[in-house]
Amino acid sequence: MALPKLAPAQPAHDKLRALGIIALNGMFDEMDALGVLRYAASDVLPGDLAIVSSFGADSAVLLHLVAQVDPSLPVYFLETGKHFTETLDYVEALKKHLGLINVQAIYPNQADVERFDPAGTLWETDPDSCCHIRKTEPLEPITEQFGGWVTGRKRFQTVERGVLPHFELTSDDRIKVNPLAYFSDADVNRYKIEHGLPEHPLFAKGYKSIGCAPCTSVVAEGEDPRAGRWRGLNKKECGIHFDFNGAIASPMTAPATRHTLWKNGGFIADPFHAWAEGDEPTGASYKHVPLPVFLANREAILANPHPLGLLVAPGDRIEDVEADLHRFASVAIQFPGFTDGRGYSTARLLSQRYQYANEIRAIGDVLQDQIPLMRRCGINAFVVTHEPTRQALIENRLPEVNIFYQPVGTAEIPVGTRPFLRRVS
Amino acid sequence: MYRYDEFDEAFVAGRTAQFTDQINRRLSGELSEDQFRPLRLMNGLYLQLHAYMLRIAVPYGTLSSRQMRKLAHIARTYDRGYGHFTTRQNIQFNWPKLKDVPAILRELGSVEMHSIQTSGNCIRNTTTDQFAGAAADEIIDPRPVAEIIRQWSSLHPEFSYLPRKFKIAMTGSPNDRAAIRFHDIGLQAATNAAGDIGWEVWVGGGLGRTPMIGKLINSFVPNEHLLAYLESIMRVYNRYGRRDNKFKARIKILVHEEGLETIKGQVEAEFAEVRGGVLTLPQEEVDRITAYFAPPQFTPQPATKIDVAYQSIIDPAYGRWLDNNINSHREPGYASVTISLKPIGGAPGDATAQQMDDVADIAERYAFDELRVTHEQNLVLPHVAVADLRAVYDALLATGLAEGNTGLITDMICCPGLDFCALANARSIPIAQEISRTFAEPKRQAEIGDLKIKISGCINACGHHHVGHIGILGVEKKGGELYQITLGGDATQQAAVGKIIGPGFEAEKLPKAIETLVDTYIAKRESADETFIQAYRRLGEAPFKEALYGTA
Ligand code: HEM
Ligand code: SF4
Ligand code: SF4
Repeated sequence: MALPKLAPAQPAHDKLRALGIIALNGMFDEMDALGVLRYAASDVLPGDLAIVSSFGADSAVLLHLVAQVDPSLPVYFLETGKHFTETLDYVEALKKHLGLINVQAIYPNQADVERFDPAGTLWETDPDSCCHIRKTEPLEPITEQFGGWVTGRKRFQTVERGVLPHFELTSDDRIKVNPLAYFSDADVNRYKIEHGLPEHPLFAKGYKSIGCAPCTSVVAEGEDPRAGRWRGLNKKECGIHFDFNGAIASPMTAPATRHTLWKNGGFIADPFHAWAEGDEPTGASYKHVPLPVFLANREAILANPHPLGLLVAPGDRIEDVEADLHRFASVAIQFPGFTDGRGYSTARLLSQRYQYANEIRAIGDVLQDQIPLMRRCGINAFVVTHEPTRQALIENRLPEVNIFYQPVGTAEIPVGTRPFLRRVS
Repeated sequence: MYRYDEFDEAFVAGRTAQFTDQINRRLSGELSEDQFRPLRLMNGLYLQLHAYMLRIAVPYGTLSSRQMRKLAHIARTYDRGYGHFTTRQNIQFNWPKLKDVPAILRELGSVEMHSIQTSGNCIRNTTTDQFAGAAADEIIDPRPVAEIIRQWSSLHPEFSYLPRKFKIAMTGSPNDRAAIRFHDIGLQAATNAAGDIGWEVWVGGGLGRTPMIGKLINSFVPNEHLLAYLESIMRVYNRYGRRDNKFKARIKILVHEEGLETIKGQVEAEFAEVRGGVLTLPQEEVDRITAYFAPPQFTPQPATKIDVAYQSIIDPAYGRWLDNNINSHREPGYASVTISLKPIGGAPGDATAQQMDDVADIAERYAFDELRVTHEQNLVLPHVAVADLRAVYDALLATGLAEGNTGLITDMICCPGLDFCALANARSIPIAQEISRTFAEPKRQAEIGDLKIKISGCINACGHHHVGHIGILGVEKKGGELYQITLGGDATQQAAVGKIIGPGFEAEKLPKAIETLVDTYIAKRESADETFIQAYRRLGEAPFKEALYGTA
């Protein structure tokens, strides 16, 4: 089978009904992934089966099965535009290694992206919608063309997947095939080693479940591998793994996690993580690199392709990195105690003198009485753990005198300033 | 004088509402004292030995009679009937109740006053020459610029959490009456070769435990760039001032440790960036503010000449007052009058509610409604017609404020000390009172002439003892109070820090020790024209030391 069919095939209802989904599930040994896939491709859904792969940390196993069964099975890859470059490299590497000849990228509708996510930050404010325009929507016309789909889901992966069978019937009468349903983490690893499969480059760095770059983080030892996805967000699944018609297959039961990043009027998930002792300048991603570390590893960090931030401690000289500021998606200014006012000068230099327009966040001892001053100095995001301050932000009652005598930035001119400063600077 | 516009009013009202809310949260128990502390400090509310203390800003020391009456009203209604004028040209109330503070602040707001930034690690009230706008020796009236600095520094978002408090003083006259060399920044009016007026900028002066004389960092900053220059200094200080040790956090330590040239380099580099930017003062704005400080409508005065010698014979007390408490005015036929808050045996700087009201009446009637507070803890009527001097004197006499001792030995600066202050090692007000009584005799005071005694109850030096011709510092030794004497300090353009002369004295022996110093001076001076400080400079400490401690 070469190309995906343009006209949707009739799902094999009759055959399914004849066998019964239960019987189908009883046919195979739990670990007989290859048998499941081969039977699905040749007997249940011949010419009517496709695969969506994330080309993530575990994708190689399923794709290796596919290559053995039929290297021309259509493999779709959601090119959301938000992937790690490592992932894109990995797609090419696996294709070559496994001899897959029908890997196709699916792109989001450009008009939708421009309309709903012009700044590319929708993942941050509304990941569900981001996934919708970048994954669910683009996939829909493709899913309609096939009677069945192969997924790489496993029972152990998340709580919700605990009862995953080999074959499932979706509410719109399609079949989902899950050859790896009974594989454990160890099984996956053993399989990879046994068959000498290339590793995703980020796997060694602690990423266990890899999706789009902004929504993926490192998973701690012993943590649920998918805990690194949408970390901090009450979000576990992308729309695509639910029923194809969009209905939610199982309710999201995870408790809401507390977000500490206040930005644009709300607490949101924070894609950044603290810089840790052993972090590598070359491979770090979504970390605020301490300014001295940056200076000591400037070349490596400029060559690092991942999104990075800069951490400025009191006493660090922001002027030393002036020329490289554009490298950073975010600058975190540290306030070790609310009485340490050095960060205010850093913020003004950044936002006003160097015209740095990305996120400038305050971290550390961030309290309600200081936030209005921080804002005036150009800080536009706050990591806040102090409970009364959180409440004050949510209820929008910061202790603030909101008219100003002196100009500190351009934003508040001309309103609210003294007559002599009511000039555009 | 400056009048609030709607903007200023809204600003102060906003701040009062904000602090009222914070006080209410404290009273209801929602805020702990720890959480409340930084908030109240930003509003001039201290917790003292006995009670809260509220410090109210008197911007550059200027008051109208309406404001003075309001202060009297507050003293009477919310305090124990008096207030204390400070060396920062402010006023403090020592006994307000927390629950009354919002009401006090509202009252203050109604007369364009507040307590913002009278404490905390921010830019404090800018102080200036008490004779500003009146003195004959003035190059420029510093008050419009002081007002512009007040506006620029009020709740400045970048400079509200400095390493330590920050004090600016300025003078428009070459004769420094504002102790500018002992401030974090001192500004002295100057003229350049082209005849433009600008400012000499002195930086890194201060008293406290490490007294330092300010250093000249720039000999001419044009008026229009002054704010940009100040902002440059503030930024360098905010970024590099020490924060590891509270006692080394003032800018004087930064300048001292880094060296003036380093700091100057940093400031000038910063200035090169901000100069010509949004802080450039347009002349129209300077003119607009200056208009508020236009001189009053002086009426041409008949050439009145008071024969002081004659008056001294028929009314010696009036004669002394004329001799000491009158300063020459730039307008012919006018004079500036110093109202001494140093009655013999009284607490320096205190005024009762009745006295405040009376002074307000006098100012309204004879002095174009204007009053000043001096850094030496006195009051001033800046503009009085010479013809009215007698009437003013009589009115002051009636309210007990006619002491003619300005600049004399009993005109002491003195901090609150152990009677009020939680940090004190020793009493200071009773010491001042005792010295005052010792030298009460007018003839004696006149014979001694100009002599500044300054007393602090601890090393924080609120009483400026370092710059007293005779300085007295209370220290704690072996459980008792001891007073150390310094000699040769000077707060003026001949700035000098006094030197400790030897071991301290117990309180009872102190007045005698001061008498010994004074007697030594009188015995050794070249003539009655040679003042104590001049004689000290000529003679050095040796004869004084010998007189106090005998020969080794
Ligand atoms: C009653 C409670 C007071 C307390 C607790 C207090 C506390 C202090 C402290 C801790 C300092 C040292 C700051 C430093 O060097 O960093 C200081 C300095 C100073 N205080 Fe006070 N003070 C009080 C009252 C006053 C009063 C009544 C005056 C005026 C008469 C005053 C005038 C000053 C001045 C002029 C300094 C300046 C020293 C400098 O600038 O280096 N203080 N005070
Ligand atoms: S994984 Fe993240 S960025 Fe990618 S589509 Fe989903 S929410 Fe958007
Ligand atoms: S000098 Fe010391 S004793 Fe006097 S007021 Fe200041 S802190 Fe208190």
